[in-house]
Amino acid sequence: MSLHPVPSDFEARCNATFDAVMWALARPGVMRDLPQAGLAQVVDALIDRECAVHCPDEALAMLARRTGAELVGPEAADHVFAETVTPEMPDRLACGSDLHPEDGATLVAGAVFGTGQRLRLTGPGVDVEVIVTIGGLPGDFWQRRAGAMRYPMGFEMLLVDGARLIGVPRSTVVEVL
Amino acid sequence: MTLQTLTKPWEPMSYGFLDGSAKREIRRKMIKAIAVPGCQMPYASREVPMARGWGTGGLQVSLTLVNPAMRVKVIDQGADDSVNAASIRRFIARVAGTPTTMDTLEADLIQSRHRIPEEVLREDQVLVLQVPNPEPLRPVQPNMSIARQMHADADYGRMWLQLYEQIVRSGRVMQGASYPSLVHGRHVMTPSPIPRWDVPKLHMAKHLTILSAGREKRIFAVPPYTRVEPLVFSDVPYKVEDHADLTCHRSGTRGFFMNEIPQDDGTLVFEVSDSAWGVKAIRRRDGEEVALGETWYKNGKMPS
Repeated sequence: MSLHPVPSDFEARCNATFDAVMWALARPGVMRDLPQAGLAQVVDALIDRECAVHCPDEALAMLARRTGAELVGPEAADHVFAETVTPEMPDRLACGSDLHPEDGATLVAGAVFGTGQRLRLTGPGVDVEVIVTIGGLPGDFWQRRAGAMRYPMGFEMLLVDGARLIGVPRSTVVEVL
Repeated sequence: MTLQTLTKPWEPMSYGFLDGSAKREIRRKMIKAIAVPGCQMPYASREVPMARGWGTGGLQVSLTLVNPAMRVKVIDQGADDSVNAASIRRFIARVAGTPTTMDTLEADLIQSRHRIPEEVLREDQVLVLQVPNPEPLRPVQPNMSIARQMHADADYGRMWLQLYEQIVRSGRVMQGASYPSLVHGRHVMTPSPIPRWDVPKLHMAKHLTILSAGREKRIFAVPPYTRVEPLVFSDVPYKVEDHADLTCHRSGTRGFFMNEIPQDDGTLVFEVSDSAWGVKAIRRRDGEEVALGETWYKNGKMPS
């Protein structure tokens, strides 16, 4: 018998997922490895009955519902899970308020790394600048994101390509090259 | 959906003491804290088997982050062997099965009360600071709702006035620990009661710092490569404690933050505050092979 609790597989996976998520947001633009592919693991690590989730994907919505989370529209959601980002999404997400910036949403979305738009990221967590290439998002997404947010209001983005993750918090300035 | 799919196998206790919902809540709040550097995020702050005010905020963050491969170091005022540090370290090791260390270079997670180690922290290290009072505006605005509005408006005039009054009255800024600092040019935070000596270590650091106040239920963070600027007037430069020329009477190391130890005859001797650094210096002096990391301060000066 071990003298201390051993994490279950679920617990160990959630811990590893959050470790990747935390470092992805602490170092925007630096790619992190997730323990497995897909968005479902982020639901496991973050979502429970205290959350309001928007999720167009049926299977993922069921998973979120099973955790006890409320399923709501994108405006009311504190977490949005979307395999594909729609063009109007940046304008519809909750950005919190100056009094409560924590009310801004977290957008977990599918993307394609290595193709698409070349982006220059600057801001906290970025050592001078980092250049990434991210595709799979609507063409004017980054302009609309910049237009929708006024720091410290805004939303966080966790972009997932398979088992790889790039984080773009609201503090990051994104420049399309 | 069946009852079976809604349940989990029985466990004697949750891994890392905190239950799943507590961890998820702290995770969600840590995400927001990292995204808005220096901004205080409210969180639930669950009960842990320790009195509020003894590091419960830091402990909850540590318990959320730990896994059996993560090496944990806990310090209290620089010392690894004080009661508070030893108890927290033993508790984390007991409920999470983590290996522990006293060496800053070996640690993955460092929970600290009121000091930042003298050796430079790496890009993969997390520093968790225990915070007694997370609100830098409290001395000038006791109403926390109004203080929140002041943060929202970036209205820090009273902070500046307080510093100005100290200079007028005493000829210098009297704030010793928890020196108010502007993070990412937007939010003023208290860096927890670390001495002025340690505040420059947070500026554009490579490591991630998470500050958590368990009693006050606030969590905030300083991501790597983030500006942390102590509030100073342009004609009154920021001054760290005058410890650059002090020598540790036990290890002989010089140019680091020291503890003052009064002697029976009224004199003082000094002892390096970062105990692990002192121990390593002594072991090296005695001829052991010890790896000493690069230090933030070189010859008692912080390179700018």
